[in-house]
Amino acid sequence: MAITTFFSSVAASGRELTLSDIINAEQTRNTAISLLSVLALVGIWQVGAWSLPSSVLPAPTTVVQALAANLAKPDIWIDIGITLSRIAAAFLISMCVALVLGFSMALSKTAGVFFHVWIVCGITVPALVTILTLYMIIGLNDTAAVIGAAAPVIPVLAINIREGVKGIDPRLLGMAQAFRAKRRQQFASVMVPQIAPMLLASTRFGIGLIWKMVLFVELLGRGSGVGYRIEFFYQMFNMTEVLAYALSFVFVMLFIEVAILGTIERRIFRWKKQ
Amino acid sequence: MNYHIREPKVPTMSQISLTDIHKQFPGRGKKGGWKALDGVSLEIAAGEIVGLLGPSGCGKSTLLNIVAGLDTTFEGKFSIQGKSLTEQIGAGFRIAYVFQEARLMPWRTLRQNIEFVLEAADFARTEWPGRIDKVLSLVELSKFADFYPLQLSGGMQQRASIARAFAIEPDILLMDEPFSALDELTARRLRESLLHIWSAFRSTILFVSHNAFESTYLGDRVYIMSPGPGGRIKEQINLTHIPRPRSYEDSALFEQSKRVVESLRRHMGELVE
Repeated sequence: MAITTFFSSVAASGRELTLSDIINAEQTRNTAISLLSVLALVGIWQVGAWSLPSSVLPAPTTVVQALAANLAKPDIWIDIGITLSRIAAAFLISMCVALVLGFSMALSKTAGVFFHVWIVCGITVPALVTILTLYMIIGLNDTAAVIGAAAPVIPVLAINIREGVKGIDPRLLGMAQAFRAKRRQQFASVMVPQIAPMLLASTRFGIGLIWKMVLFVELLGRGSGVGYRIEFFYQMFNMTEVLAYALSFVFVMLFIEVAILGTIERRIFRWKKQ
Repeated sequence: MNYHIREPKVPTMSQISLTDIHKQFPGRGKKGGWKALDGVSLEIAAGEIVGLLGPSGCGKSTLLNIVAGLDTTFEGKFSIQGKSLTEQIGAGFRIAYVFQEARLMPWRTLRQNIEFVLEAADFARTEWPGRIDKVLSLVELSKFADFYPLQLSGGMQQRASIARAFAIEPDILLMDEPFSALDELTARRLRESLLHIWSAFRSTILFVSHNAFESTYLGDRVYIMSPGPGGRIKEQINLTHIPRPRSYEDSALFEQSKRVVESLRRHMGELVE
């Protein structure tokens, strides 16, 4: 709808339609659809809140008010900080291990077959079992929590990375070799740019999974962090606070996704835009 | 355009010398493998343009890879001005390659793509802009230096890859069916473009082709190879008497190209276009 009104307005102004006009129109249209989608979500929530007791599903306005009140106090910031640092540590661990596994599986047939079994096991074992086992082995501490959050994500990331490395265009490497580029130059200028999209996708995907895992490990065996708070308020039957804490972290993750990763993506893929 | 008619060559020591080259690709398991080359010998002088013509699978590309130094597992003698390729490369000898596809890195502009090979060939950074501007203007792409490859047509991309090859001022330029992916009119312009930029550098060119007329137009000499397995050189056709710059309408060229087709037909035992 937006795009048709746009076209008619351009036609009325008698201006020629350029490519950037079309791209801008498309962007406006997409933004409008996204806004509508957010409104629909909140609407569904509101309808649910009307039909259920407020102790079970509080209205969005109630939750936002509770969140605003929380943000004025230091406690929630401390919890967010603790959870974020656990996410960072767990992500770093899982990404490093997955990079090593993914690269070796893509580049060596033996490693590919050998680690394949591990990956299949890693995917089939439920995250809950992994986390509980690690808590038993390492103890109820932060080390176990971070490793427990990292471990279930590793196999999925490793598969992603393996596929990305396998997708490197051998013809460009052949070109680099024919012109006698040194190994370092081949790696930095030919391989890295080709695996960058995959690395970025893995980062997004990995952080998204890790943050759910971190909430899980906090809920199961930690006395701090957003996950612990959610568990705590759940035990108190305070759903407003449960949702307020969850919402606070949704905003944090949205910020990371849109502001940080989105910016990196635009910078890396400038060449695709043109 | 300032083509120069090259002085007739005084036979000197050849630059590229291949003697009795055999190449066997190992088979998998019980399969016998593939004999790509069976005793190929050829001599190419510095500054010569030589074509290798033959059906698919006759080992032309294998031969190019051997000269490029990308394939070192062959039997026979291969030397460049009497020394091994490794020695020559250590002494600053440069080899460039033009592939069937442009093989430009899509995330780099034309300028940056050329910078890549200049860095690989250890040219001083201060020389880069001058070299890039020179080769891009020789292939008429100056205006597109800061464009990304995907913004250009296939023909322009291939011209850029020719510019990239000459940017390092190669002693030898190898080309593997460089124009076969383009339509005939674009290919014609590119062949002219190639000879134009070549006249400024005079690198030795060894190219592989499917196209009889193309090899006649470009080459000083054309080698006809027999079909694989066990590709051999069957015949050599000399074209030095056709003066440069050559015209596509030259009847002498047409005559020679017919000779090439006939020779191909004779050695393949089947019809070639």
